Amino acid sequence: MEWFWPEGFYTLLMIGVFAFAAFVWDMPIAVAMAMAAITGAIAAGEGVPLRHQVEGEFGYVDTILIIATAMVFMKVIQRTGLLESIAAWVIRKFRGYPVLLSLGIMFIIMVPGMITGSSTAAVLTTGALVAPVMMELGVPMLQTAAAISMGALFGMIAPPISIPAMIIGAGVDIPYVGFGMPLLICTVPLAVICSLWLIYPYVRKPRDEASLEAQLAKMSRVPMSLRLFLTVIVLVVLLGGERTLPLYWPSLGMPLSFLLASASGLLSGVRWNPIETVTEAIDEALPVMGILMGVGMFIQIMTLTGVRGFVVVSALALPSWTLYLGIAISMPLFGAVSSFGSASVLGVPFLMALLGQNEIVVASALSLVASLGDLMPPTALAGIFAAQVVGEKNYFKVLRHCMLPALLTVCWGIAVILMAKPIAKLIF
Amino acid sequence: MMTLIYRGIGLFVAAFVLRCMFREKSFWKQVTAAMVLIPLILRILLIK
Amino acid sequence: MRSSRGTALTAAALCVAVALICFVSARSFLAMRLPDPVAPAQGFERYNLSHWFPALKGSPGDSDVYIQDSGVPGGTVFIMGGTHPNEPSGYMAAVVYLERAKVTKGRLIVMPFANATAMGHNSPQEASPQYFSLDVDGGTRWFRYGSRATNPVYQWPAPDIYIHAQSGQKLDGGSKSNLNRAYPGVPDDSLTQQVAYGIIQLLNKEKVDLAFDLHEASPEYPVVNAIVAHNRAMELAAMVSMELEMAGIPMRLEPSPVNFRGLSHREWGDHSDALAILMETGNPSQGRLRGKTDAALAVTGKDKAYLKAAALGRLFIPYEGDQTLDLRTARHVTSMKMFMDMLGDVKEGGDVEVEGIPSFDDMMERGIGAFLSPVEDDRFDGK
Repeated sequence: MEWFWPEGFYTLLMIGVFAFAAFVWDMPIAVAMAMAAITGAIAAGEGVPLRHQVEGEFGYVDTILIIATAMVFMKVIQRTGLLESIAAWVIRKFRGYPVLLSLGIMFIIMVPGMITGSSTAAVLTTGALVAPVMMELGVPMLQTAAAISMGALFGMIAPPISIPAMIIGAGVDIPYVGFGMPLLICTVPLAVICSLWLIYPYVRKPRDEASLEAQLAKMSRVPMSLRLFLTVIVLVVLLGGERTLPLYWPSLGMPLSFLLASASGLLSGVRWNPIETVTEAIDEALPVMGILMGVGMFIQIMTLTGVRGFVVVSALALPSWTLYLGIAISMPLFGAVSSFGSASVLGVPFLMALLGQNEIVVASALSLVASLGDLMPPTALAGIFAAQVVGEKNYFKVLRHCMLPALLTVCWGIAVILMAKPIAKLIF
Repeated sequence: MMTLIYRGIGLFVAAFVLRCMFREKSFWKQVTAAMVLIPLILRILLIK
Repeated sequence: MRSSRGTALTAAALCVAVALICFVSARSFLAMRLPDPVAPAQGFERYNLSHWFPALKGSPGDSDVYIQDSGVPGGTVFIMGGTHPNEPSGYMAAVVYLERAKVTKGRLIVMPFANATAMGHNSPQEASPQYFSLDVDGGTRWFRYGSRATNPVYQWPAPDIYIHAQSGQKLDGGSKSNLNRAYPGVPDDSLTQQVAYGIIQLLNKEKVDLAFDLHEASPEYPVVNAIVAHNRAMELAAMVSMELEMAGIPMRLEPSPVNFRGLSHREWGDHSDALAILMETGNPSQGRLRGKTDAALAVTGKDKAYLKAAALGRLFIPYEGDQTLDLRTARHVTSMKMFMDMLGDVKEGGDVEVEGIPSFDDMMERGIGAFLSPVEDDRFDGK
């Protein structure tokens, strides 16, 4: 009880206020998080600590710029008709080879995540690109969203860039070197299994060719041309150049790259209204941007009141055999506030608790488990956007289909931790 | 130079957030937009 | 509840609220940029880092540097605190030397707040206190509790990946604003890289023999209560470590890793003639396991979450309920004194003699505040 009081009470209070505001009062998630944070601070005798509330928001100021500009980019490629044209082309080309098609689609979803280290980027770029293809090929809407979410997570963790792995590494002063192979071991088997599980069973089924062809013709009404592709080419060149030639390429950052690529859409030859497109993009991105602001306040108040330490040390206090259970449960759950937050707040202490294994392999596996936070409501950055991309309003329906792949991911993550030493021997 | 460009991006996003806020029909969603505006403004002004 | 209607009027009202919140929080954020006043002991002359690297002149990174020359030939010792301003014993130890030292042989250079802009803000989601206070003779001294990183407003945006210029080593983008990943620095890059470059210029131009970078680490971090020494400094560090052990102030000795680049203990030693030493004490107020976070935690280190973590065997320091700033500062101050006392043994003509530095027991008994001078502090007039 001495351990529980008062921090455990604050924890329950903050979660309770959040749940009540979000589900009973039906407030936006962002506002519910802010209310929970304020209530926690008042209960802990801190009053309404304005400075802390605002400061907490800054943890995600760069992230909201990425989200806003990535959404603008996505809206632009929708408006120009590029998305549908590409989808039609891919289906025509590969529909005779279902295994290759399934694996290829999964890889395409992962690429932006691999390059940017952001699952949101994966969902909003190639995820949005392949969503119509997959659905046209017969993959049901929810499975499509689930496959995109999982692909985005694996992309985020796969090398060359894995921000959660970097965050965990930085917390114990391990430079981000030598992570390539361990991260591939963490992600590739899962990506293959998920694509064969979520995509392949549907794309191999025979379809009504006439209806498909009619649909394809409708989708490819904007002829594919180099000009139409300009937006994607600009984005690939800008982001790819920065990653592959970092010493020579100016570091523009994702927001600027997204905006430049979007601007190049004006040269696509298709007419679209920039003001209305950007407004629509920001309007759709606002709930997630707001959630991140709420999460920022929430974490800062958790830290201020001691709730964060209570949660972390309680997780570490689990007996050794349950430590793995603790990792499996607490990291994805804490990811509800963001997978990066989970990597930082829990990943680092867990890695320290596991010192003596191979730290690089363990950090890679922990980052894999942390990535599942991007499926966890209320933030569920990968999941909510994937739902949005396929046009599903209720994210929880998508989450149901992510459950088994997520469970598999956790099991694989834990297995990699348990096998860290032999794996390290094999690859280093 | 890059800082200046990013202040511009911040301003660009903030302006559209403001536009969305005024077009929004739900008060609580307007509050969400307001929460997003605060750090954007403080960063554009290079205060925090 | 959600059905509450939003109109242009409510939007306008929210704009007023946003403006008000921005105004109030901005005042709090900006106030933190005002420097902490110090009272250097007699004989110190004040410079700025731009004295050694003029490109920093007028920039927010142009940190104060103080030099006391005894006039008697000997070695030169450099003491640097404030690399990470969320590690207060580092800069408090430098301040104790700055306000107490009487150099009788050789020279002493003190740079108390190395990353000046990091002193002036807090990292998001850390909920750090902005200030903490100490009782001194005739009043109260206030010090800022800053951030591990350079203030982002001076080098925004952070890159996605930080590539250490000299080695090509990749780190997360946030590490670009970590002064202790920036050495030997780059003269025309971001502020942090420039400050690092300036410090290397200082070490070389002033022919520093022995250089300290003072830090703190989380109690759950393996390198804590430790001396990290460059290979050239290992012999001296080993002697000091043994001496400290005998004095009952154990500081583990760790060699500076060769493959981890950008850190002071590696790059200072590789890019100057100084014997490079980094020291870490255990600071609960920066750790990830800490409970309630406030100024009291920074000063007392009392924390029930750490007590539980200690019982679980998760810590690398002995923790019995507290870890006072007095103790942490005294560790640094005493260790540095031993280093200086033995410097002449390993470096011919490198002797530096400093008087007036309180002993470990004195600091533990009377608190470090007893060894600081009262100062005029406009920031806290009447508060």
